[in-house]
Amino acid sequence: MVKSKRFSERAGRFIIYATVIFLGLVCLLPLWNIVAISFSSNEAVVANAVGLKPVNFTTKAYEMIMDDAQFWRSFSISVQRVILSLIINLVIIILMAYPLSKTKRHFKARSIYMNLLIFAMLFNGGLIPTYLVVKNLDLINTIWALVLPGAVQVFSIILIMNFFIGVPKSLEEAAIIDGASPIQVLLKVYIPISLPALATVALFSIVANWNDFFQGLIYMTKVSNYPLMTYIQSLTIDIAEMINSGNSNDLQNISEVSNRNLNAAKIVISTIPLLLIYPFLQKYFVTGIVVGSVKE
Amino acid sequence: MVRNFSKLFILILLAAFLAACVEKDPEETASTTEDGETVITLGRVTAANPKLPEGDTYEDNAYTRLVEKELNVDIRDAFEAEGEDYDRQVALAISSGDLPDMMRVNSLDELKELVENDLVADLTDVYDENASDHIKSIYESYDNRPLNEATFDGRLMAIPATIGGNAPNIVWIRKDWIDKLGIELDSDGDKLITLEELEKTASTFIENDPGGSGNPVGIPFVYWLNAGDYGGSAFAMTSIASVFDAHPRHYYENENGEIIYGSTSEETKKALGVMKEWFDKGIIDPQFGTRTWDDITALLTNGQTGIVTGPWHLPDWGLSAVKDMDKEAKFAAYTLKGENDKVNVFQENPVGQFIVVRKGYEHPELAVKILNLFYDDLANEKNIESEYPEIAKYNELGVDGSTRPFNIEVYSSTSQLDDFRKVESVVNGEIPMEEIVKPSIKADAQSIIDYIDNPENAETSSWSKYHSRMFGLGLIDELTKDNKFNWTTPFYVGTTETMEKKGANLLKLEEEDFIKIITGSESLGYFDTFVENWKSQGGNEILTEIEEEIEK
Repeated sequence: MVKSKRFSERAGRFIIYATVIFLGLVCLLPLWNIVAISFSSNEAVVANAVGLKPVNFTTKAYEMIMDDAQFWRSFSISVQRVILSLIINLVIIILMAYPLSKTKRHFKARSIYMNLLIFAMLFNGGLIPTYLVVKNLDLINTIWALVLPGAVQVFSIILIMNFFIGVPKSLEEAAIIDGASPIQVLLKVYIPISLPALATVALFSIVANWNDFFQGLIYMTKVSNYPLMTYIQSLTIDIAEMINSGNSNDLQNISEVSNRNLNAAKIVISTIPLLLIYPFLQKYFVTGIVVGSVKE
Repeated sequence: MVRNFSKLFILILLAAFLAACVEKDPEETASTTEDGETVITLGRVTAANPKLPEGDTYEDNAYTRLVEKELNVDIRDAFEAEGEDYDRQVALAISSGDLPDMMRVNSLDELKELVENDLVADLTDVYDENASDHIKSIYESYDNRPLNEATFDGRLMAIPATIGGNAPNIVWIRKDWIDKLGIELDSDGDKLITLEELEKTASTFIENDPGGSGNPVGIPFVYWLNAGDYGGSAFAMTSIASVFDAHPRHYYENENGEIIYGSTSEETKKALGVMKEWFDKGIIDPQFGTRTWDDITALLTNGQTGIVTGPWHLPDWGLSAVKDMDKEAKFAAYTLKGENDKVNVFQENPVGQFIVVRKGYEHPELAVKILNLFYDDLANEKNIESEYPEIAKYNELGVDGSTRPFNIEVYSSTSQLDDFRKVESVVNGEIPMEEIVKPSIKADAQSIIDYIDNPENAETSSWSKYHSRMFGLGLIDELTKDNKFNWTTPFYVGTTETMEKKGANLLKLEEEDFIKIITGSESLGYFDTFVENWKSQGGNEILTEIEEEIEK
C-alpha cells in the first residue's frame, strides 16, 4: 500500500514536472531562437538554417544597431517615458486608492468617484477624439503625449484600493492612537505594507509603457521623436507592400534594414531592460507580509 | 445626495460634449517666417533606412536646404510616417481639419475623397503656367495618362507620380547550374524560351540536384499566385500566364470588345492547365499552396531550386542571399515566348501616388516649382558636383529618395531603358563615365564595372546590380529593340464600391480555387464553376461599375 502510494505520488510529480518543463520550453525556445538568429549571418537566416545554435556566428547585426543614432535616441525616449510614467502613475495610484479604500462614513462622495472611474475604465473617447484632445493641448511631439494620456491607471487603482481595504484596521488605529496624521498613516503604514502590490502595479506600468508602440505612432509625427517600440515597429516592413512604389535603389535600402537577423537583434536589445528590472522588483514579491503584523 | 451628484455629473458631461461641438476658429498658420521665407508644411512619407548623414533629418537635409536656397521656402513637416502609419496620420489630419499645405496621397480613392470634400486646391492654372517643358514632356511620354487620373471635371487637382516601368515577367535561372549540367537552353540566343524548354530545364535540375541540397523542389510559386502589378509579380505565375496572353488580376477589354476580368478568362484556364500538369509531373514545388516569399528565398538560398519568376529588379533584393551563400551562383534572365511568338505584357497601372495642395493655401505654384526643381533641374544637371555639391554627396552616400520633399517618382516612360543604354555603353567602354548625368545611374555603372573587373571579390550589391541591369534590363532592352512585345492596357479605376465590399472575398475565392485546381483536389473543369461563382458573388457588379466609370 505504502509503496504504491509512493509510486503514484512520484508518477504524479513526474507528470507535473514534465508538463511544467514542457510549458517552460515552449515559452523559452522561440525566444532562444530569436537570440540565435540575431547572432547568425543573414544568408543562414534566409535559408532557414538557424535553430537553437547560431550559424556562422557574427555580431554584425549588433554593430549595425550600435551605429544607428535613431535607435539610441528612441531608446532614451522610451526610458524617459517609462520613468516619468512610473512616477506619475504610482503617485496618482496611491493618492487615489487611499481615500477610496475608506468607507462611505469617512469619504462621502466615494461612490461617485468610483462610478466615474469605472465608467472611464469601460468606455473611452475613441481614437480620434482622444487625438484631438492631445493635439489641442499642444502635446503632439512631446514626451507628455506619451505619459499624460495614461497617467490614471484605473485598473491599478482598484487593485491597490482593494489591497488597502484588506489591510487590518487595527494597524491604522494603532498608528492613530500613537498620534499619526492621515498622511503619516499612508506613508508609514499603508505603503510599507503594500510593497508587493505596489511592485506589481509598478511592473504593469513599466511593461505597458515600454512595450507600447501605438501611442508613439499616433502622437509623434516625426521619426526622431519615436519611442523605441514604435521605431522598431516602423523598421519591420513587408517588402511586398513597398515594392511597387519604390525605385530599386530605395528597395535595396529597405531590404538592408528589414532583414530577419537585424530585427532579431533589435528584439533582443529591446527586451534587455525589462529582463534587468524583473530581479530588482522580485524581492518585493514576497507574500504574507501582513501576516504576523497584528495578533487578532 | 447621490442623486444630486449624478445629475450634476450628467450636466457636466453634457457641457463637455457641447463645448466639443463648438467650432474652432480656423487656425492661423504663419505662412511666412521672420526672414520673409514662405513656409510649407508637408506630410512626408518616410523610409525605414533613409541613410541620412549624422545631424540631418527629414525636415532639415540637403534637399530641403536646396529648396530653401532656390525657392526661398522653409519646409516644415506636419507629420512623417510610412506605410499604413502615414495613411493614419493623413486620416487624423483630415478629421482634425488641419491638413498640411502639401502632402502625398497614396491612392486614387483617397484623392477622389479629398476632391469630393473640396479639401484640395485646383492646380490646373499653376501647372500650365509654371511647369517646365521637360516636366510636361515627361507626362506626355505616357500620353498624359497620369495627369488624366488626377483630373476631375477638367481640372487638375493633384500632381501625379508617373507610372512604373512596363516590363515582362522574367524567368531567373541559375546560370552556373545550366553550364554545369550542360543544358541546352535558348539555342537561338534571343532570350525567349518556350514552356517545353523551361520544363526540361526544371526536370534536369530536379534529377541532378546541382545545388546538392538532397531535396530539390522544382519551380516554386507563392500561394497567392498572381499580383495586380508588375512589382508584386515575384514568384507569381505571371510569366506562365503571359504565354497564353492571359493577364490575371487585371480588368481589360478582350478582342470582342467586352470588359473582362483577366483571372476568369479562357487564357487563364489554359495557363492553369499547364500549372496543373507541371504539378502532377513534379515540375512545380510539391508544397505549392503554402509557400510565402520567405520560404521561396530560403529554397533558393539552400540550393533546392534554381528557377524563379519575378521582375527585373529581383536580384537587388530577392536573390542576393543566394550569392552570399554560394559564391559561384550566377543567374540568367529569360522570358517565356507566347503562343503568338510575341512576349505578352500588360501596361502597368499608374502607381496611384499624388501630391495635393491644401485648398486655400496661398502659394500653390510652389508645388509645381518644387516639381521643376527636383525632376527637371536636378535630374538634368550635368555638373552636379560643382553646382550642387551637397546633393552630390548625398548621391554618393545612397541617401534614400524619400528625403526629398515630394516622395514620388516623376520620370519619362523611356527613362529606365535610356539610362540602361548609357550604363551599357559605359560598361562596354564606348562612352566615358562622365556622359552619365544621373548620379544613381553613375553609381550603378561603377558597381557593374567593379563586378566585371573582379567577379570573385566583388561585393554582393555589385553582383546584384550586374544581374538586375545587364541581364534584367538588358533583356527588356533587347526585346524592345526587336519589337517583341504585345501590349495589353488594363483599365485603371481605383477601388469601386463593390470591390470595396466584396473584393476581399472574391480574391480569396480566386486564390483558393486556383490552388485547388493546380494541386488536383479539383479538376480543370472546375475553373468554369469558379468563373460562375466569381460572377454571381459580385464580379458582374464590378464589371458593370467599371463600364460606368469608363463611360464617364
